[in-house]
Formats: sequence, structure tokens, C-alpha cells
Amino acid sequence: MKLNGSEIIAECLLEQGVDTVFGYPGGAVLNIYDALYKYSDKITHILSSHEQGAAHAADGYARTTGKCGVVIATSGPGATNLVTGIATAYMDSVPLIAITGNVSNDLLARDSFQEVDICGITMPITKHNFIVKNVADLANVIRKAFKIAMSGRKGPVLIDIPKDVTGAVYDFEPLKPESIKNPLLSEKADFNKVAEIIAQSKRPMIYMGGGVISSDSEKELLELAEKLDCPVATSIMGLGGFPASHRLFMGTIGMHGGYETGKATDNCDLIITVGARFSDRVAGDREKFGKNAKIIQLDIDKAEINKNVKIDASLIGDLKDTLRTLTETIEKANHSEWTAQVSEWGKNGEVKETPPSDDYAHPYHVIEAVRALTKDSDIIVTDVGQHQMWVSQKYRFEQPRTWCTSGGLGTMGYGLGAAIGSAVAHPDRRVVLFTGDGSFHMNLNELATVRSYNLPITVIVLNNTVLGMVRQWQKLFYGRRFSQTDPKRQTDFAKLAESFGIKGLRIHNDNDAESVLAEAFSSTEPVVIDCRISPDENVLPMIPPGKTVDEMITEME
Amino acid sequence: MENKQIIGLFVHNHPGVLLRVTSLISRRGFNIDSLTVSPAGLDGYSRMTIRINGNDDQVEQFINQMMKIVDVKKAEIMPENSSVASELILIKISTDGHDNNEILDVTSAYHASLVNLGEHSMTFRASGTPEAIDTLVSELEHYGILEMARTGIAALETGDKCLK
Repeated sequence: MKLNGSEIIAECLLEQGVDTVFGYPGGAVLNIYDALYKYSDKITHILSSHEQGAAHAADGYARTTGKCGVVIATSGPGATNLVTGIATAYMDSVPLIAITGNVSNDLLARDSFQEVDICGITMPITKHNFIVKNVADLANVIRKAFKIAMSGRKGPVLIDIPKDVTGAVYDFEPLKPESIKNPLLSEKADFNKVAEIIAQSKRPMIYMGGGVISSDSEKELLELAEKLDCPVATSIMGLGGFPASHRLFMGTIGMHGGYETGKATDNCDLIITVGARFSDRVAGDREKFGKNAKIIQLDIDKAEINKNVKIDASLIGDLKDTLRTLTETIEKANHSEWTAQVSEWGKNGEVKETPPSDDYAHPYHVIEAVRALTKDSDIIVTDVGQHQMWVSQKYRFEQPRTWCTSGGLGTMGYGLGAAIGSAVAHPDRRVVLFTGDGSFHMNLNELATVRSYNLPITVIVLNNTVLGMVRQWQKLFYGRRFSQTDPKRQTDFAKLAESFGIKGLRIHNDNDAESVLAEAFSSTEPVVIDCRISPDENVLPMIPPGKTVDEMITEME
Repeated sequence: MENKQIIGLFVHNHPGVLLRVTSLISRRGFNIDSLTVSPAGLDGYSRMTIRINGNDDQVEQFINQMMKIVDVKKAEIMPENSSVASELILIKISTDGHDNNEILDVTSAYHASLVNLGEHSMTFRASGTPEAIDTLVSELEHYGILEMARTGIAALETGDKCLK
């Protein structure tokens, strides 16, 4: 059938099973938005306040569903506003299709109004990108883009489309998408080698990451851990990939991980790394990480092997199949002495909280109070900073895809957009955004979007009036010279919420936390809670950058 | 151990593929000293030949990273003992204060051919292994190199094996 480029885009999205897109209109995407008008019964478009919010929303949608997120923006500033969102998705291997309009072919390369080389700009932060200069190529480029985004190690792909291409008419033939099957690249001998190393281990641990979630392998990981009787630590990205209530769960590993994961990392004789990449926030000292252990790595991305930490043996390929084959290959083991030792360390790691106060609530108290009200399937989103680390430490995640946080890029301002995407994807669940006053100030404009679509999002601003994480580093490493981390803002977040048409509440201290949260959770209306916490609250324990658990900080003034 | 390795890339000849490869080299901090691009003898494909300085881990990482570029179909080491590597040089030497025959004696030992004789200069063309070209250049330095252009390395594996 004869369709114009914009209708071809809509048809290709439907072909891929897309029923929801996020975006913001503009001159170069007028044709596309005209097609979205025509297809509005099949494709829901969520309009954000700013393209960055739309990109984070598509990211949150992808993380919580496992589907590919789609975001649309116009040329020039519309496209550049996506950049932080795309980079965030890239660092956390989130599948995302970004469709940008560009000026017409005859205006390209002339510094035309709202023209920018977005392919050049996004080359280092996408798996691949395309500029489609001919409508004849359009359908196949979109199909290829989805395949690239969703196969292997997932990630964002950008498609830049000049305006004339979105208006040009061409013959469209529907095509069913081919199913994606990632191969298992390791062979029997590789599995035997790994199984032999595992058989020799007396003190093994698993270090898992986001790869477990993006490959939907949580069941396979659980089977491996149980057969091996092996404690499990997770990166921030891996939270939800292993139930926190399980006896083998240790918690997060790395800079703000618990004492027990730190001790286990140093004292184990084997680390089985599953879908994780030894970032500097996990392996602060690359040479000393797991210094008494052999290291095995299971990953879909071969380039992760020996990138940061020297590996003794690796298995490459689809994580689900790899885990399944490995579990079949190994013998059932019992490491009760070792797991008992690990639990013993767990008892030592309690962090001292600041004294009780009428003026402040304690972040751990608030997080635990929220956990008491949420179901395991409810979705928790954070921004970036101290609040993010507190949630990663304290919130007990039981299920995969219930957690959205910018782990790799550390994008302040990520949270509200991601919460919107999560809420749009799961209208039946509650979405809780933990944010800080610093992060929230960055993209709170998206409260307008929350109101427009009446999304059941509970925003909890852990408000310490300072840029807490940076301030904590200034305390530790910069002689308490608090340069530009005390912005003296007077923002009343509850009143601010009211001005957007959203209910605003306040938590003053630990005593009123439960009742205020209960009020917020009593309806599905969006709500913003301004929760005062002390500016002197720190994230502990902390392994200083480049160090090991031996130098873990457990107390600060 | 730090060494030089030649890597062959078989790539889709799409716009921007050179930028994708060079941008990856730059942002991952790889150290290269030669990069050439040419048609690969198969429609729609190009061949890149890159010489990288690095230890075995860095070379392995280089290949693995290159293989993540969608337009890169293949990336392989051209092993030193089973590959031929060659490059071409054009080099202009000052003849002032020197005996032309003496220069010709040096260049003929490297099978360099005289392609132009100027009033104060001689221009030679030579081809050979990168190491042989390096030696030729250092021998001619003494006469005064006015300018030179090298093509960079082309390399193929010997035997019947092909990179595609």
C-alpha cells in the first residue's frame, strides 16, 4: 500500500508491537505527529514537558516492561534535549528507539533553522544510529533499529529522519519481525573448565548485575545460587534480580554496599560474575578486587571480559542459556560454614544513625515505612545522590523490573521522567519516586505531565536542603569546604505540587512519617511529599574511591 | 607486553563508518600509528588496516570493541609470521651540498625509484614493509627530508584465508 513516511513509521511501530510512545512535537516532526493523530486509536502518545523527560520516560517504560522504549523529538534542540536520556539508557543497556526529525534533505548541511547533526552527536552514546535520506529505506531501517536495540547487549538506537522523507509517499509492505535469539557462544569445554573451577571453590560468591534482569534470567540465577549454596551480592543495577528475602542474599556490592558483601568479596575464593561489569563503583581498586579469589564472568558482551578486572574464565552468550547450562554442569554443593560466616559479618555492619529529632525524619525510617505499604510488584524509582544509595541499601526488592535508577551515568533529574514511563506502562501498580531536593529541582517540570495523565505516582522528596552526596565528599575529602552545595533554596515542595494541581504533603519527623505515607497511599492520585531530613545525614558505609573494604568508612561526624 | 599489532577490519561501506571506528579508538584511548581505508574487493564493503600499540589484553579489547560497531563485520589480527604488510612512500630529499649519485646509491639499495628530479631536490617512491620504509627514512634523514607522504599499511594474511 502507498503510505507517506510518517505513516510508514507508525505502521513499523505497530509491527514491532509498540502501542505507547513518548515525545514532544515540533516543526521537523509535524508530519509524524499528523500520522500519530491518525493512529491515535492504536498508538498512545505521552506528551512530556521537555524532551529529556520524554527520553527518561521511554527508558523507565523499557526497564519496567522489558520492551523497547520509543521517544520522538523534533530536530535541533528537540534532538539535543534527548542526549542525556539516551546516554543514561546507553550506560545501563536499556533498549530505546529515539526518532528525531531533521530539516529536509535540501536544507541539510546548511546550518538551517533547528538543524543539528544528531547522528554525529549521539554516535558515542548509541549502539548504532541512522539518518534516513530516502523514504525507500525507511521501513527497513526502523526494523533494523529495533533488532539492534533488542539483541545482544541491549541499548539505544537513534533514527534521524529529514522532514521531506516523513512526507514522501512510498509502497509499504508489512513484515512480521523476526524473533531475536541470542546465541550461546561458549562451548562444552568452556563450561567444563568453569565447572572445574567452581568444584574446587570452598568459599564462592555470586556478583550479579543488570544483565540478569535485562535477559529475564532471575529464575536461572536463583537455581544456580541454590544448587551451589552460594551467597549473592548485587550491583545497583541488579537489584530485584534476586529476592532480598532469600537466605543467600547479601545486598549491594561496592562503594556503599554492606560490610558483609565487602568482607565476602575480600575473603571468598571465587567470584562468579553474572551480567555485571566491574564498574569503578563496584571494583574501586581494580587490582585488589577479589584479591583472594578466582573470577569467572558470564556475559553476553565479549568486550566486558578483561575490560576492568582480569578474569580467570568466562562464558559468553545469552545469559539465560548460559546459566541453565552451567547449573546443569555443576555438582550440588554445600557451603554452610562459609554462608554462616557471611551472615555473621552481616550482623556487624549496622550503621549508626543520627540521633532522633523533632525537626528531621531519618531516611532509613521513611524507606522502611514505604516498604511496609508497598507490594512486591510496586515500582520504585530514584534520582541520583544520597537518597538513591539509601534506597538501594534499605528497600527490600523481591521482583525484577520493579526498580528504575540511573546506575551507570548517574543522571540527576532522571527519576520523575522514569516514574512517568513506569506508571504509564503499569497503570495497575503504584510507582514511588524517591528523590532529593537537588535532583528534583532539575526536572520537576514533569509534574505537569503527571497531572495531565493523572498518574499514580508518589513522589517523596528526601529534602535535606543541600546537595548531600557532593557535600559528603566535601566533608571527607575536601576539608569541609562546602563549595556550592548549600544552595539556600526556599522551595516549598508541597506548595509547588499544589500549583501543578497535585496534592502536597509534608513529613516533619519520624513520628508523622507513617501517617502521612498512609494518607498518600490511601488514594491513587499523584502526591508529592516534602520530607525533611538532616543535612548532616551521610551514606554509610562507604569505601572511598579506588580503595577496598579494608578502608571502609563506617562512621562520620 | 607492549607491542605493535596489525588489525584488519572488514566493514560495511556506509557513510560515517570511518568516524565510528576513529571515534571509538579515541574515546577508548587506544594508541594507533597507522590507519588505512580502501575498497575491499566486494561491493558495499571496505577494508581498514590499523596498526595498534598495546599489550595482548589491549589488542583483545580493541578487537572486541570494534566488533560492537554494527558496520564492522569482522576484526582480526594479521599475525606477523603469516601476513604480508606493505606501505608506499613518496619522499623528497634536498640535493643541496650532496652528491646525487651518493643519494641514488642509498635509495637503490631500497629499490626506491626516482620519480622526479627538481633543481634542488629529488623525489623517490618506494614500497616495502613498514620497518623497511622506516629504515629508508632514517637513512635519508642525513640528506635533509623536504617532505614526505606515506600511505599507511596494507596487510593481508598469507595462504588461502580471507577476511570477510
